[in-house]
Amino acid sequence: MTRNFSAWPVLLVLSLISLPLAIMYASVFVDSFTNTPPGAILPNEFTLAHWRFLVDPSIAGNIWVATLNTFIFALSMVVIVTTISAMGGYAVSRLNLPYRRFFLAGIMVMHAFPSVTLIIGVFLVLQFAGLYDTLAGVIMVKATLMLPFGIWIMKGFYDAVPWEIEMAGVQDGASRFTVWRRLILPQVKPGLIALGVFAFLDGWGEYLLPRILAPTSEFRVLSVYLQQISVTDSINYDFNLFKSVGLYYTLPVLIVFIVFQNRLMNIFGGGTKG
Amino acid sequence: MIVSNTTSAERGIRSSALTRSTEPATDTVRAARKGRARTSPLGLVMLAPALALLVAFFFAPVVLTTIFSFTNMTSATGISGGAYVITPNLLRDLEWQGMAPEAAQSLSGETISVDEAALERAAAAGVDPDFLEEIEDELLGDEFDDARSFERELKTLPSRPRRVRDLKLAAEPFSQSILNTRFATRDEAATAIASIAPDLSAEDRNTVLSAAYTGWVWTTDNFERLATTPETARLITNTALYVGFTLSLFNVGLGLFLAIAIFYMPKTSGTIFSVLWLLPRITPVVLYTVMWKWFTWDDGFLPVVAENLGLPAFNYMKGSVPTAWATIVSLNGFIGASFGMILFSGALRAIPQQQLWASEVDGASRWQQVRRIILPQLRWPILFVTCYQSLSLLSSYEQIWLTTNGGPGNTTNVWALEAFRVALSNYTGNLQYGYGAAMALVLVVAGLALSIIFLRLFRFNELVEKPKIEF
Repeated sequence: MTRNFSAWPVLLVLSLISLPLAIMYASVFVDSFTNTPPGAILPNEFTLAHWRFLVDPSIAGNIWVATLNTFIFALSMVVIVTTISAMGGYAVSRLNLPYRRFFLAGIMVMHAFPSVTLIIGVFLVLQFAGLYDTLAGVIMVKATLMLPFGIWIMKGFYDAVPWEIEMAGVQDGASRFTVWRRLILPQVKPGLIALGVFAFLDGWGEYLLPRILAPTSEFRVLSVYLQQISVTDSINYDFNLFKSVGLYYTLPVLIVFIVFQNRLMNIFGGGTKG
Repeated sequence: MIVSNTTSAERGIRSSALTRSTEPATDTVRAARKGRARTSPLGLVMLAPALALLVAFFFAPVVLTTIFSFTNMTSATGISGGAYVITPNLLRDLEWQGMAPEAAQSLSGETISVDEAALERAAAAGVDPDFLEEIEDELLGDEFDDARSFERELKTLPSRPRRVRDLKLAAEPFSQSILNTRFATRDEAATAIASIAPDLSAEDRNTVLSAAYTGWVWTTDNFERLATTPETARLITNTALYVGFTLSLFNVGLGLFLAIAIFYMPKTSGTIFSVLWLLPRITPVVLYTVMWKWFTWDDGFLPVVAENLGLPAFNYMKGSVPTAWATIVSLNGFIGASFGMILFSGALRAIPQQQLWASEVDGASRWQQVRRIILPQLRWPILFVTCYQSLSLLSSYEQIWLTTNGGPGNTTNVWALEAFRVALSNYTGNLQYGYGAAMALVLVVAGLALSIIFLRLFRFNELVEKPKIEF
């Protein structure tokens, strides 16, 4: 296209708006490796002291246990969400079910529905089921809240698979299950990977549910760990320690994001956050 | 194998020649054409786990929210029903409310009876077995009006404890008072009252029993309270302001600006900006909110910069109402903008480039292109983002909770946050599940209504296609 409009005013406005974000993210990187005198903006010395939490549990508690817990949490999310969505999505996309329309409408409503408002009800359900304050309970709740989104996304991917593949398989005498397992699943692999990555990121960053539904449990995830060091009394409050832990916490997210960036773009369009 | 092409013929999309040629003319195909479809057992099996989880943690919470919004359940009443406990405090309260002092007096009396149950209690309390045997032989079946006469009787027994304190301890299990005793059912409590205070009128007994119940009861007080308290109006105004500002300025406004600016940009710089704006969405919320704290708090970035420039510097997040509002709106908006950005970018790429080229040939400026070509074609995506994001903003409180927590005062408190705080996170310690559920129910109803309207708007029927294979 020709340049019939000068681009720099737009670029300037865009940069100005993006500046707060850029400063905040840059500061996370810079401050975790440097010291800044009080009242100044720029740091004056390089140090690795803020990273001592990695080896010294007395600073903020054992980070490795929290990391392991978070991994367990996020990976369980991936397994549950992808498996159940892959099956459920296929069922609603391709198989004859009674009340299928009704169910699809329900999934749509649940997908759009602000699920955090249910937390009081979820809390009561867990109390009745005896799953309150357990890891299993939190994982199941978090995975369930993501299911409508997962099923909807997978349905979209299944819808795009040509019927002919399925018909050919059925023609050759395979059962519908075999067709799904051997022919259709490989076709929707991009969707499954994107959904899995999304579930991982969602589980990795989750704070509210572990905090509310498992407040005293032994199981402490990184988000709760991070929040706990940010509310220690304000005199000892150490932003730099917080940023180091925060950077450590976010690194896996950034790596996953960079690796899967293009696949995620497909799915973010139906994102769940405000 | 049965292949039906009813829907494909109707929609004219995937109706390929192949579908038609492989179609065997069986009965089932005719049945399918008439709309009678066979249920797929595999489908039910594959859907079962999703259904089970959704019913347990999606549907049941909605039902429970509805049910419990009609109760006065709090953490004091417990959630699984309660017991009947008459405490001295309760009797004093009832006296203030006009119950006769004699009635209260009679309820707080105690009886001492030597029976099997009392002996067992005494044995459990560790009273000397020889002594207990003597009590059983001498006094079984006796009743005493007060502790002193019972103790006098005990002192006549040969193997009594030497010390007065031990004697009193041994006598204790035999005395029974209904004060501070937990009765599981109303009947048990009524029987106990009848035995200790037979003269109590039926009316007084009912008053005492109702007041003594520690569990929750059915009530519509929650909704009356919501309708009458002035706090409600403020919460609604705040929520409307919060959703309105965030949605118009950031989720739609900034999202649109970002998408169009990146669309016209060279690819590399466009990618840098879109990745930068996606970061808030994938950053864990705890880190993201504290980054904002660092940015706006007393010794944070903005106040330090402002101080150096001679502008008023204070804790922008909590120091004043306008800055607190600006903080929470932009904090949420920075997350939300990427949603619009991605969606609008996708829609922009779908616009045929030829239209833009043609307009340039006709001498249109960029602004005219945006105004006359791009914006009209983005009408549906904009509507979609508006609907979808207003729903999620309506119920989002995590970021506000972790930053201003509704402060200063209650000025940035929104409905969802208040419901959450009332029910699950208040500092006074008594969590009001019932009232919180009533507040959440309002949101659930609003959310349901909006998402159904939203489904109508986006032509749900087009999204639901019938299966083409019945097998």
